[in-house]
Amino acid sequence: MKVKAKEKDGIVKVKVLAKHQNIGPEEGEKKKKEANFITSVIAKVGDAVVYDLSGSGFMSKNPLFKFKFKGKKGDELEVTWTDLKAETKTKKVKIK
Amino acid sequence: MMDRRKFLGLGLAAVALAPMTVSALDFRKEKPDAWKAEKPADAIKALYGDIKPEEKGVTIKAPELAENGGKIPVFVRSDIEAKSVALFQDANPRAAVAAWTVPEGGIVDFGITMKMKGSGSITAIVEGKDGKFYSKVLKIEVSKGGCGG
Repeated sequence: MKVKAKEKDGIVKVKVLAKHQNIGPEEGEKKKKEANFITSVIAKVGDAVVYDLSGSGFMSKNPLFKFKFKGKKGDELEVTWTDLKAETKTKKVKIK
Repeated sequence: MMDRRKFLGLGLAAVALAPMTVSALDFRKEKPDAWKAEKPADAIKALYGDIKPEEKGVTIKAPELAENGGKIPVFVRSDIEAKSVALFQDANPRAAVAAWTVPEGGIVDFGITMKMKGSGSITAIVEGKDGKFYSKVLKIEVSKGGCGG
């Protein structure tokens, strides 16, 4: 997972690139692969949730998520995705 | 053609496996039917109930002609103070693509890359803090379908 977070005028712009096959059930049947996709992406600064997505198999392979929130430089942003098989990945970055 | 029983089974498995999160509302866990509906209208009903959204205040940014249906960049934007946002389309076997819980004071400017099997309409719903619903529908052309098609 790659995460970039940059602040300008009090607004933090975030890009999250998740490395995931993100295969929906129908697609899995076609490709003879097991369906598995990102079901949630949550971003936090400290205990405050700044982004909360529920996903599906219709997001693309290696999906890219972009969002904005009110924040400041130097804070730590923690991004976690979870997939259908309950595997999770977390990445922490400093807001630039 | 997908076996209905198998399809439902997958849905149940998805619910059973949905992990605990810190989110205020886990859409996948608490609104499982919204993710099974084939048509956007049914998915919206399953997610929000019988709502009549106003067609204003919401913008969808997406390419008018997507060459690759496997990775279509879509943005949903709104200045409305929102509680949640949901994104649907009508080209895939099921309608729901993603849903967001908007944190207090959050900015509605969500970018996502999605798959579409062919040309169709993208629908975004914004649930305002005022208890009203707002929507936008955007038609896009897809020249090469996603979903392994």
